[in-house]
Amino acid sequence: MSDRMILGIETSCDETGVAVLHGDNVLSSVLATQTDMHSRFGGVVPEVAARAHIEAIRPMVHLALRKAGVHSDQLDAVAATRGPGLVGSLMVGFSFGKALAWGLQKPFVGVDHMEGHLFAPLLENPGYRPPAVVLLASGGHSQIVHMRDWGDYTVMGSTIDDAAGEAFDKLARFMGLGYPGGPAIDRTSDDGNPAAIEFPRALADRPFDFSFSGLKTSVVNHLQKAKAAGALPPIEDVAASVQEAIVDVLVAKTFNAVVETGAPVVAAGGGVLANRRLRAAMEERAAAAGVALYLPAPSLCTDNGAMIAAAARFRLDAGEQATWFDDVDPGLRLD
Amino acid sequence: MKTLAIETATPASSVALGDGAELVAMSASVAGKGHVGFLVPAIDFCFDRAGWIRDDLELVAVDIGPGPFTGLRAGLSVAQALAAAVGVPIVTVSSLDVLALRAATGRRIIWPVVDVRRGQVATASYRPVPGGVVQDGPAEVVTPEELAALINASGDDALVVGDHTALPDGVFQGLHRVKVGRPRFPAADVILEIAQMRAGRGIFASAEEVRPLYMREPDALINWSDIREEGLWPGAAG
Ligand SMILES: [Zn+2]
Repeated sequence: MSDRMILGIETSCDETGVAVLHGDNVLSSVLATQTDMHSRFGGVVPEVAARAHIEAIRPMVHLALRKAGVHSDQLDAVAATRGPGLVGSLMVGFSFGKALAWGLQKPFVGVDHMEGHLFAPLLENPGYRPPAVVLLASGGHSQIVHMRDWGDYTVMGSTIDDAAGEAFDKLARFMGLGYPGGPAIDRTSDDGNPAAIEFPRALADRPFDFSFSGLKTSVVNHLQKAKAAGALPPIEDVAASVQEAIVDVLVAKTFNAVVETGAPVVAAGGGVLANRRLRAAMEERAAAAGVALYLPAPSLCTDNGAMIAAAARFRLDAGEQATWFDDVDPGLRLD
Repeated sequence: MKTLAIETATPASSVALGDGAELVAMSASVAGKGHVGFLVPAIDFCFDRAGWIRDDLELVAVDIGPGPFTGLRAGLSVAQALAAAVGVPIVTVSSLDVLALRAATGRRIIWPVVDVRRGQVATASYRPVPGGVVQDGPAEVVTPEELAALINASGDDALVVGDHTALPDGVFQGLHRVKVGRPRFPAADVILEIAQMRAGRGIFASAEEVRPLYMREPDALINWSDIREEGLWPGAAG
């Protein structure tokens, strides 16, 4: 792929991510995270997120350029996330990126956030390439994507209710473990027995789809019964068993897709991929199945500007760019 | 100064180019949706009509509200990005100032209103003076009934301008000194006038001032204690 200098802006949810990509090299990637602002609500509050983005966007773009040692005139293109995501958040980064590109007289690219995640592994491993099965799991999305080629995707499965990260957040909140739920449950699980409680694995009849809302009901019922019987299990065992239930389903369905497609490569992205048990389970299954596994570093799994720039580079190479009339699309789909 | 003015505080958005306070080009949308799709093409069109290049730009002026936040943030994102790309300062104006200045004829006290949703409007009172208006009191967010009471208490002849669809029929019934008039929405050409005055006095916005004038906490901050759930384990953080 080309060695363009691209500024990537990501504001689809609660992180203001900006990066400068030059060819294969990430010259800078900066992130203003809002986790603390949302912690008291146990989840992302759209209006709070949008307010934080409008404050962070200009300083973060400035910081990314400065850290990269690049002047805005040296940019070959500007890219920003077009969707899916929260409309108020998307609008800030997309409007800023488009106006910056217009002001600099450079091409602008509106990027599908999910396609950004598909390109993230490439930033660490230039050898990564389709065909691949990719698990995307975060607080806002849970999907299994069959990537036949760059730009040629089928969403094989997705969640029918909560996203995986949302399930972690809700369960952690119910258990009083705080926000964000994924890291809290991950830490608490260290001292727990993952086999202590057998929580149900939903949607056995749909090989590539997820459902997590039933898990919460099951955990609540189990604990209320246990409490009434005066035998509340240790919180570490509950956390480890909850984590095992979520991880089990994510991994099993990803590898169902590997069997179905015969893809020689598995990759993953999204904030939930920071979970250590999930990473270990993916590694075990990939080794057993004899497929190559690309798990980006946690900083590239969570939302970031570099993956947006990487996807934009592919789009520019394919001769695509946005028009000035383009708008955000909160419901954008990969296929 | 060659100035770009950006207006997105209401469903009607507009952009204008001015050489000083003199209008050079303008583009407006009354669609009520799609500030993001409108702004940059409109700016591109205006530059084209004016025969300006990017580097001609010397000042960006933008309405910071009050008004619906999502539209304001689109305008403010574009204003910040262009000012950064070309390297020029920003002047901010209030949507109420823009409405009041456009309505400034006659002797009535002007009460501009902007629909800020949930049954409320933002308003302030302005006195016409030679060459413009002077704001009398602070801007506030009120219900239409509270607005009627404020106007009644002031005792002066009043001209209410702005989005009258935010005011229920008959809200001024019995207030014989109240007239409802135009404009309905603020527009970017009026921003140019205010921007020249501000810039002439060296009143540029700091980075922290280029924000929507919210005048209201996010809902979640108002209600956040309602959505907490009790942890089952005593002593665990909730
Ligand atoms: Zn994401």
